[in-house]
Amino acid sequence: MNTVVAQLQRQFQDYLVSLYQQFTELRKLQDEGTPDFVAEVVSLFFDDCSKLINTMSRSLERPENVDFKQVDSGVHQLKGSSSSVGARRVKNVCISFKECCDVQNREGCLRCLQQVDYEYKMLKTKLQDLFNLEQRILQAGGMIPQVNIS
Amino acid sequence: MTVEQDCVALDQFPVGMRVLAVDDDQTCLRILESLLHRCQYHVTTTNQAQKALELLRENKNKFDLVISDVDMPDMDGFKLLELVGLEMDLPVIMLSAHSDPKYVMKGVTHGACDYLLKPVRIEELKNIWQHVVRSRFDKNRGSNNGDKKDGSGNEGVANSDQNNGRANRKRKDQYNEDEDEERDDNDDPSSQKKPRVVWTVELHKKFVAAVNQLGFEKAMPKKILDLMNVEKLTRENVASHLQKFRLYLKRISGNQQAIMANSDLHFLQMSNGLDGFHHRPIPAGSGQFHGGAAAAAGMRPFPPNGILGRLNTPSGIGGVRSLSSSPSSGMFLQNPTDLGKFHHVSSLPLNHIDGGNILQGLPMPLEFDQLQTNNNKSIIPGNSMAAFPSFPSTQQSSLPNNNSHLVLQGHPQASPSAFPGHQINKRLEHWSNAVSSSSSTLPPPPAQNSNSIMSHQFDDGSSSYSIPFCDSTIPLAPAMDTNPRAFYRTTDLDSNANVQPGGVYYDSLQMRQSGNYGPTTDALLSSNAKEGFIVGQQKLQSGFMGAEAGSLDDIVNSTMKQEQSQGDLSEGDLGYGGFSSLRTCL
Repeated sequence: MNTVVAQLQRQFQDYLVSLYQQFTELRKLQDEGTPDFVAEVVSLFFDDCSKLINTMSRSLERPENVDFKQVDSGVHQLKGSSSSVGARRVKNVCISFKECCDVQNREGCLRCLQQVDYEYKMLKTKLQDLFNLEQRILQAGGMIPQVNIS
Repeated sequence: MTVEQDCVALDQFPVGMRVLAVDDDQTCLRILESLLHRCQYHVTTTNQAQKALELLRENKNKFDLVISDVDMPDMDGFKLLELVGLEMDLPVIMLSAHSDPKYVMKGVTHGACDYLLKPVRIEELKNIWQHVVRSRFDKNRGSNNGDKKDGSGNEGVANSDQNNGRANRKRKDQYNEDEDEERDDNDDPSSQKKPRVVWTVELHKKFVAAVNQLGFEKAMPKKILDLMNVEKLTRENVASHLQKFRLYLKRISGNQQAIMANSDLHFLQMSNGLDGFHHRPIPAGSGQFHGGAAAAAGMRPFPPNGILGRLNTPSGIGGVRSLSSSPSSGMFLQNPTDLGKFHHVSSLPLNHIDGGNILQGLPMPLEFDQLQTNNNKSIIPGNSMAAFPSFPSTQQSSLPNNNSHLVLQGHPQASPSAFPGHQINKRLEHWSNAVSSSSSTLPPPPAQNSNSIMSHQFDDGSSSYSIPFCDSTIPLAPAMDTNPRAFYRTTDLDSNANVQPGGVYYDSLQMRQSGNYGPTTDALLSSNAKEGFIVGQQKLQSGFMGAEAGSLDDIVNSTMKQEQSQGDLSEGDLGYGGFSSLRTCL
């Protein structure tokens, strides 16, 4: 049982390390009073992501009529929320996305959009796994390891 | 957390400092809220700038500090910043993902006391209370410089100088006078308890009358002060008030013209006793600024700005449009030495626009009628007064001096001077109805973003339009936003959906241009609609959701909060409870 827990914990740590520092900050905000804080926030984030991605994809849909302002505003918002949540890769894509937007490069925007979509889904999966691990650790009687990422 | 924190906070500032957080991005808002809680502040959140303004206007003393995002669909963060600063005089911190220095500059020039970048770090938030202290301290110092009067404990009396809302100060007074005094002493031993001047309607009327009498160009604080002849008012108080007034007029003057024209007409129609009023003598002498009659009469020369300014405020509807356009217009000339130039009639912006004194007499009748039947002592929706306080926010509706207690400086609140708020309400309602009908014919500008309170009023037409002075009712309930949830940390798509249509609607009424946000608003509208979202969701994730949902579900469901039924996979993302989105989206 201990080995199981230890193993799980190690896995957990690895996972966490691979995530952005900001995310661990986020985790620190969670406490007994708000046990689901992180879950809630990332859920919100993912919701925002999909919404924004939808919006942007609609804007980029027709080549002759792209509303770059809207796309730009979407990217901006995505950048803000992803950086707040600690979704580093998403945020990085947003940076290039914004550049494409600034020069009104529709192709580039579409590519970035795809990438954002991909990244956030990946993150979602990863976080899901992370949370699962957490649960398993707890259920196995272990403690969630606190990981400090420098 | 709320109540306890307030009580606890008595001696533990900055613990319990009350922050209002505004950000349309719910993720960031949620995080911000949590961070602020960590700092032991008391937090209120809203994802709409309009809602935030309402909250602030509702009770000046409710908040110590405002943190606001820059990019918001319903109102530009900078605009909100300005409004809050002018109307409520609260410190505002900007928040943005834009690190571009020019945004930071813009924030600073619009009066932000700080500019934070996303992602916000808790270390930064731990220090924001300094802005609250600093702003109070500055106010203290300001009001005490000119007049070291013994203003002990006068919440009820007109005090201070610059602070229409006197929010911070007053609140502190309210719940901890001792602490406040102590802090003052510590901060600045030379400054006494700083009495704050509350610019009530009555006071403002006097002020305006005095300015009128002196002539806009000639209006100097000292002279105004003399004319007003109000006890316990200092030159500094008047000076800062004058400055704000000028700013206000400058702002609204930059606003729409079309509406103004229409509203003028309506306004004209509205005022009945016009003729009768014209006959009233204007007290030429300076001494007569006491009492209602004098004040009212005194208002006469200053009609357009007063009433119209107020009525039209939000988008500069009516009235003061030309304020900024013609440098010589209005009372707020920077150059007060223009002796001969100032002429009431001609210099008033409205006159400019209308090419005449059409409006000049207008406000008067209105005022007097109101004067007749006022029962509402506490709230004096004096026309010009109204204009003034509402100025800081072109979205007027609630005057900064929202206090119900009319603070009179030893001047009896004579019945003539007390305006029947009720009456005014009615008139204004009619007026706003009229205006709204007229304005609705105006071609909707492309994607307006800024919601003016005026728009809101138009929407409602009646009930929600409350005279600024009637602080019992906060005017601006946007017709659309009746959803109380919108105010609280809104994580609901629904509340957004409620809001969006309103936002769009407002936009069409609003003449202001902010193209950037328009599209966003629209987008949000569509994307916020639950159905839209779901559809989109499915489109993007149809492949994604299929396979794994089953296996993950079991694990997750047992431990996660579930707001949606298991079978509701397609809607998973909409659930805000814990993991439902993760669960179903995988």
